[in-house]
Amino acid sequence: MKIGIISFAHGHAYSYANIIRKYKGLELAGVFDEDESRGRAVAAHYHTAFYTKLHHLLAADVDTVIVTSENSKHAQHVMAAAKAKKNILCEKPIATTAEDAKNMIACCEANGVLLQVAFPVRYSTPIKRAREIVQKGGLGKILAVKGTNRGTNPGGWFLNKALSGGGAVMDHTVHVVDLLRWFMDAEVKKVYAEIDHLIADEKIDDCGIVTMDLDNGVFATLDCSWSRNNHYPTWGDVTLEVVGTEGTLGVNAFDQKIDVYSDTEGASWKYWGDDMNEKMILDFVDAIKKGRQPFVTGDDGLKALEVALSAYRSSESGQTVLNS
Amino acid sequence: MLKVLLLGAGTMGSVHARAYKSLGNVELIGIVDRQEAKAGKLSANTSAKVFTSYEEAVAKLNAIDVIDICLPTHLHKEYVMKSIGIARNIICEKPLGLNVTEAGDMIAACEKNNVRLFVGHVVRFFPEYKRIQSLLKKGSIGTPAVVRTTRGGAFPRAWKNWYGDFEKSGGLILDLLIHDFDFLRACFGNVERVYAKKLNREDAVGENIDYALVTIRFHSGVIAHAEGTWAHQGFSYGIEIAGTKGIIDYNSAKNAPLKHRSKGKKMDGAAVEVPESPLASSPYRDELKHFIDCIVNGKDPVVTAYDALHAIEIAMAALTSCETGQPVTLSTGELTRGNEI
Ligand SMILES: NC(=O)c1ccc[n+]([C@@H]2O[C@H](COP(=O)([O-])OP(=O)(O)OC[C@H]3O[C@@H](n4cnc5c(N)ncnc54)[C@H](O)[C@@H]3O)[C@@H](O)[C@H]2O)c1
Repeated sequence: MKIGIISFAHGHAYSYANIIRKYKGLELAGVFDEDESRGRAVAAHYHTAFYTKLHHLLAADVDTVIVTSENSKHAQHVMAAAKAKKNILCEKPIATTAEDAKNMIACCEANGVLLQVAFPVRYSTPIKRAREIVQKGGLGKILAVKGTNRGTNPGGWFLNKALSGGGAVMDHTVHVVDLLRWFMDAEVKKVYAEIDHLIADEKIDDCGIVTMDLDNGVFATLDCSWSRNNHYPTWGDVTLEVVGTEGTLGVNAFDQKIDVYSDTEGASWKYWGDDMNEKMILDFVDAIKKGRQPFVTGDDGLKALEVALSAYRSSESGQTVLNS
Repeated sequence: MLKVLLLGAGTMGSVHARAYKSLGNVELIGIVDRQEAKAGKLSANTSAKVFTSYEEAVAKLNAIDVIDICLPTHLHKEYVMKSIGIARNIICEKPLGLNVTEAGDMIAACEKNNVRLFVGHVVRFFPEYKRIQSLLKKGSIGTPAVVRTTRGGAFPRAWKNWYGDFEKSGGLILDLLIHDFDFLRACFGNVERVYAKKLNREDAVGENIDYALVTIRFHSGVIAHAEGTWAHQGFSYGIEIAGTKGIIDYNSAKNAPLKHRSKGKKMDGAAVEVPESPLASSPYRDELKHFIDCIVNGKDPVVTAYDALHAIEIAMAALTSCETGQPVTLSTGELTRGNEI
């Protein structure tokens, strides 16, 4: 399979490129990047072609693309790729507005191409196991969930609202919302959020606590803050604490780690668990090969985005808002 | 020697009695409990007399300096009011009352009658929390931004399951989260608004569990998230504060210095692990020692009855938010008077 990467703006592009390089059946067939010097550098590093124009990459011998551009550019890049009949893996969040997301989904459908949104946490082995326990009824009836997806301030374009669509809330709400939906086959009905800019120098939301009511009667909270500082031993986390009538379950997607205390590198946690990105890329490729629905659809991406947008609306109005 | 009459010989009464026995300047002169045997057990190795009613105790004892109330929460107001005129000092377990009005009435009555009222917000005396306060003051993590607290374990078992009757205990938000509300207020100042979720009554009462997640916004800007649980196994508590320059993280479940595992007696032989964090002086002893010191030397306590009232105010806002599904903004009227004290 010949895969093109549209932009290395998002750091995940590097992990995806590394995974592609690992597998014989996969080929990184070309790179487009608006940032020419970055594009040329990565193309040289991965021994692939660099295209200065997106339509050149799309006209080249490429059957699949990964879109890892700035959030607000996903829509134009995904739709251009769909029109060129490429199957697409789009980095999260799917877009910065619901309208963009809906247009992307419709465009991919109209062109008969597969659109998957990159929610790799669904591929985390501990998370998958947690879902299995929950779905088998191991906790009885689910009543409440406490989630976190904290991180380090990523800097760069993430702090430019025109490109990112927002700060921590836009960046870190979607993963856990997707897990809530996937664990419980339920949708978020209402959202309340406390959001603020309390840590970074740049003026962007970097702290948020989001509370959600789901249509199955469960309530959930999410801490989506970019609150991990430089000296924290890791970049962040994804955790869920699930409370049910018959028990509780705590899952931490990155707790498979070794604590390292180094005089040269400081204190850090080295992860040794399964690579969820790799599992995601392989499953995406499998879906294309088999012509089946992707594991995470454009609609999943839209549903998660809507909650992030509702969180911003709640924070602006100071009220609980209906999620739509 | 300060003469203390203890009301209630349950879980907290036992903890207080043990502390008094170890303090040199206090004499436990009476213990009251409806269940005579419980009071009797606590009176061992003391000169304390055992009573089955408060009325009997005050009729038979004279010169009571301190009345210490370790009764179920719904009885706090009744016994604080009764104690006024009998003793000049009252120590009452948290939460001071079932609501803001009760607490306000108790404070007003004590002030009017020149009775000193101390409330057992013991978390202020836990060394880990004291250490956190001093680290914050030092600026170790810059300006605080996002705070997460957790507290709880299994559903508390007590006399006639009074914790399970939310009319009597106020439920998890008033009974348990009050500790974190008070500590957060001590660290981050006054609260602007509160948003909260808790289990439905049917789920909570039916399953004998409770669970609540509360978001608090402070005037300082700090956003706090408090988890309270009576749905987990094994009591634990924790707090994480992320600031502009770093993170403070403590969790009693992770940092237990001593873990005793005994071979279970059950058929499956499962080991029961009992974590301990032993200290030369327990926080409960430190708390009572401090209150006694305030009484003897006319000092102000580190935690006042007004602080107790404000913590109840936060709990009530959380309960209202659970009902309405909307955030509750705290009024900054008369009640904030306590801050000037
Ligand atoms: N500070 C803390 O960490 C902490 C911890 C637990 C409880 N508490 C508080 O302490 C108070 C007591 O809780 P507990 O867990 O000890 O309860 P408990 O049920 O263990 O003890 C209450 C005792 O009061 C007795 N009693 C009830 N009514 C009485 C009456 N009218 N006259 C005399 N005795 C009577 C009962 O027989 C029982 O022994 C509550 O307000 C609770 O919220 C504080």
